[in-house]
Amino acid sequence: MKKYAIVLLLLIAGLTTNAQTATKEAVIKVTGEVTTPLTIGNAEFQQYKQTTVTRKDKDGKDHTYSGVLVSDILAKAGVTLGPELRGENLAKYLLVEASDGYQVLFALAELDKGFTDRTIILADKVDGQPLVPADGPFRIIIQDEKKPARCIKQVTAMKVMFAK
Amino acid sequence: MGKICLVLCLLFAIVGLTAYKGMEQVVPMGDYIFNYPANFGNRINVPADNPTTQQGVYLGRLLFYEPKLSATNTVSCGNCHQQSKAFTDGRALSIGVNNGLATRNSMSLANLLWARKFFWDGRAASLEDQVLFPLTNPHEMGQSIQASVQKLSNTLLYPGLFKIVYGDSTITGDRIAKAIAQFERTLISANSRYDQYLRNAYKPTDDELKGMELFNHGPDPEKGIRGANCTHCHGGPKTYLELFHNNGLDSISKDEGMAAFTGLVTDRGRFKVPTLRNIALTAPYMHDGRFKTLDEVVAHYSEHIKQSVSLSAFLQGESNEMGGHSLKLLPKEKKQLIAFLNMLTDSTFITDKRFGNPHQSTKN
Repeated sequence: MKKYAIVLLLLIAGLTTNAQTATKEAVIKVTGEVTTPLTIGNAEFQQYKQTTVTRKDKDGKDHTYSGVLVSDILAKAGVTLGPELRGENLAKYLLVEASDGYQVLFALAELDKGFTDRTIILADKVDGQPLVPADGPFRIIIQDEKKPARCIKQVTAMKVMFAK
Repeated sequence: MGKICLVLCLLFAIVGLTAYKGMEQVVPMGDYIFNYPANFGNRINVPADNPTTQQGVYLGRLLFYEPKLSATNTVSCGNCHQQSKAFTDGRALSIGVNNGLATRNSMSLANLLWARKFFWDGRAASLEDQVLFPLTNPHEMGQSIQASVQKLSNTLLYPGLFKIVYGDSTITGDRIAKAIAQFERTLISANSRYDQYLRNAYKPTDDELKGMELFNHGPDPEKGIRGANCTHCHGGPKTYLELFHNNGLDSISKDEGMAAFTGLVTDRGRFKVPTLRNIALTAPYMHDGRFKTLDEVVAHYSEHIKQSVSLSAFLQGESNEMGGHSLKLLPKEKKQLIAFLNMLTDSTFITDKRFGNPHQSTKN
């Protein structure tokens, strides 16, 4: 009986450890040249105005990605966009990092609607469905960019920095 | 009498000065200049509080090969990171003090100057942080920093060297780690046949060239392009991109990998993509050393990728066959790929005297 109790206890302990180590929610940290650092999980993400971008995927077909404008997130963090995006602020860039360590960067001016109509979003859905785990939960989608290399998957961090 | 005294005094002074100068010559002094090809890029990682100096590298090399830093006075960093094996040890899991086994396979130390995250799971943000782990881990060198400091302080050699490097003879764990990190940053491998090819100094064989093509291309059966897609993670002249992936070894990885500290289910079994520099010398392969040969490694990527929720996206559905689920390289292509991987062996790196054990020539 005692033996069973121990086995049961070990089993429960094992399950709880597993639960602890593998159920955290993926979030994105927004840091660097910001006035308000942000941590964005699904709940925070849904509070932003949602929009869509259509772009071709590897299969050559158009897909509709939905999510939020990267510039909206940066604006909330107090990044120098809009009227403030001039002078030395044009030497700032956004470095986006993924779970696998992959990094891509955007000049702030690439993200500002005063400079461009091209839309860059942080997407959480493709064709109405949540992104698959290997791509999500958050992925950058760039309207009309020919190569997909900057459509970085599994985004974990966005850091605004000054070029040195 | 006075004259004789004066002459004697001068003589002593000259002898003394010569001896001092002799000591000075033993320890090279000044900034350490890293030499590497321009195509390696300058995104190097040297912390502002540990600039690399010749004297620091000199001390670091002695410490790297110093068995007194282990509980049994028998294991140095050099045991599990042997120069002849590109600073690995040929074992699936290294043996530490008291025959304990390390948790993961010993990693090559080539070209760490460009690394920003260390260990198989990338948990250390600097070499200085990384160094302290094997020193104290009970299954590796197994000795507390205090004990190491004590042992080094009791030697004739080290207090004087610490003074030369740090300005005073105080020995601390931080200073030990900094010196070892300095030495490790100098372990640059940049003279393989691949490097020679990149600077037009070597003409590859047909197999090597075909292997290189496969290495560099992703498969695209619709366009008739055959490839192994290796550069997706091992790209660039350094064959290292500092990425972390679940490469489909298991459907449920026993080793949690990065998930142990990120807590993300998609990080389970996610490990560092190591450099392929000297890959022919660093068997066995993977974080647990499960593959004994490069043939097994290539066969894994070609046919045995295991699907899981953590499997990295680029390994899903990449195939040389229409609608295929794995690479499906031909036997000949596997051979060619391995011929190219052998081009990455840098024989000057593994015989460079600057990286070898210095203790044979130093009284300790």
